[in-house]
Amino acid sequence: MLNYIWAGLIVSSLVFALFYDVRDLTRDTYRNDTPLPLTVAFLDVYDAEARRTPVEVRIDPDKYGDLYATDARPEVTYDATLIRTNEGTQLRFDADASLPEPLATIRDVTNSRTEQLQGRIAFEEPVGAALVEATVAFEPVRFVKMNAMAGAALDFAETAASIALSLIGVLALFLGLLKIAEEAGIIYALVKLVRPILKPLFPEVPDDHPALGMIALNMAANVFGLGNAATPFGIKAMEELQTLNPTDDTATNPMVMLLAINTASVQLVPPVLLLALMGLQINQLIFAIIITTGISLVVAITAAKLLGRLPKSRASDPNRSGGTEERKNGGTEALPS
Amino acid sequence: METLREIISLLSYFVLPLILVGFPLYGLYKKVPVYESFVEGAKEGFEVAVRIIPYLVAILFAIGMFRASGAMDFLTDALRPVLALIGFPAEVLPMAIVRPLTGSGSAGIVVDMINTFGEDSLFVKMAATMFGSTETTFYVIAVYFGAVNIKKTRHAVPAGLIADFAAMLVAVWVVRLLFA
Repeated sequence: MLNYIWAGLIVSSLVFALFYDVRDLTRDTYRNDTPLPLTVAFLDVYDAEARRTPVEVRIDPDKYGDLYATDARPEVTYDATLIRTNEGTQLRFDADASLPEPLATIRDVTNSRTEQLQGRIAFEEPVGAALVEATVAFEPVRFVKMNAMAGAALDFAETAASIALSLIGVLALFLGLLKIAEEAGIIYALVKLVRPILKPLFPEVPDDHPALGMIALNMAANVFGLGNAATPFGIKAMEELQTLNPTDDTATNPMVMLLAINTASVQLVPPVLLLALMGLQINQLIFAIIITTGISLVVAITAAKLLGRLPKSRASDPNRSGGTEERKNGGTEALPS
Repeated sequence: METLREIISLLSYFVLPLILVGFPLYGLYKKVPVYESFVEGAKEGFEVAVRIIPYLVAILFAIGMFRASGAMDFLTDALRPVLALIGFPAEVLPMAIVRPLTGSGSAGIVVDMINTFGEDSLFVKMAATMFGSTETTFYVIAVYFGAVNIKKTRHAVPAGLIADFAAMLVAVWVVRLLFA
């Protein structure tokens, strides 16, 4: 399943990026060969020798709309700088200019590092004192989505690694505490306490197995909105379940159940992030969230149980194919038939 | 309801300190070499984090590409008429699709919707309820299964997605019932 979803995400990214880019090319969305007409107002007396001249740029909204066939309209004036180079004079918009589409995209694609829209300027005729009509040709823009897609892949790969590494401290803290809890017998006491509730959900886990205690801690941390603690507890629970797994790389039924419960995320205290976004509004929503999370938990448990009974899931169950091991199985369900 | 929330949030202040102080304290009482045990257990933190990396990279880069290529927008547009049939408002659809894929992305959508519709709108309440009552399914799969090197996830993904789907529908329904 995950194989298909994963491949689907990647392949459809390519297909859609191609589709949008070809559409942009055929429509010439960025008018790659047509320069943008505008009026340049000089703030000081124009010095032909100066390397940099600050100017004010005015773009006629109607001409702009006609050229790019868009409803977006530019602002009345933009601050910009004229820069003399060996290849002619360049017009560079200031970095904080709020540009309309498609100029904003042209800026992002052609000059993402400095965030300044830049193009080669050609002066036409003066229309008044210190006012000159001109046209600006930007770098041609092609394959925007393809670029964005490749860029996103690199960015997210980096993000993924930094997310994982940022977990190190919290993981170490809670795994350390759990080790103490294990040796002090807290986990064992917890297992006895929660066994009647968790046993029906995890029939394959032996009665006194510490996995049940870890699962209980994981669920408790979720309920109290302690996402930071819930993850290490959940990981530890997975590791305990893995000790019962005859295979290395295939999920067992209890693992799927634990995962389903976690994706349904039983929480009575809303996540801190939502609190930050919504403020005190959250008080109104608490009831709605509890109902929703409760129903989705029931659905998750039912789905995990029922999907586990499908012939395909039964065939891939590690406890079935590798059922020869001498292990204590919790229920008849886990025994080979 | 207000008092219940008060009690729960009050409790949640004490759960973490209880674990942080209570576990070592009880360990001391049970004559466990607490410092040694802690360090022994904590050693695993680094290994686990490193073990997760390949799984998280695999999931996140694919999702990142999917969003950047415009495929996600297309999916939203394509599903709109279908979901309108069952009374699911198109305005909260982006939230329902993004939520299982990325946590930060869905938080961004909540912010967007607050700016567009205002804090008091039903749509924002629906989106916030969705955000508060579900988890980022693919992230949870990558982290939890990655930590124990599980590659064949069997029916975990469908089960998680079915639960998400139910949560989205219930969120719309509950918010309508309570606030409309």
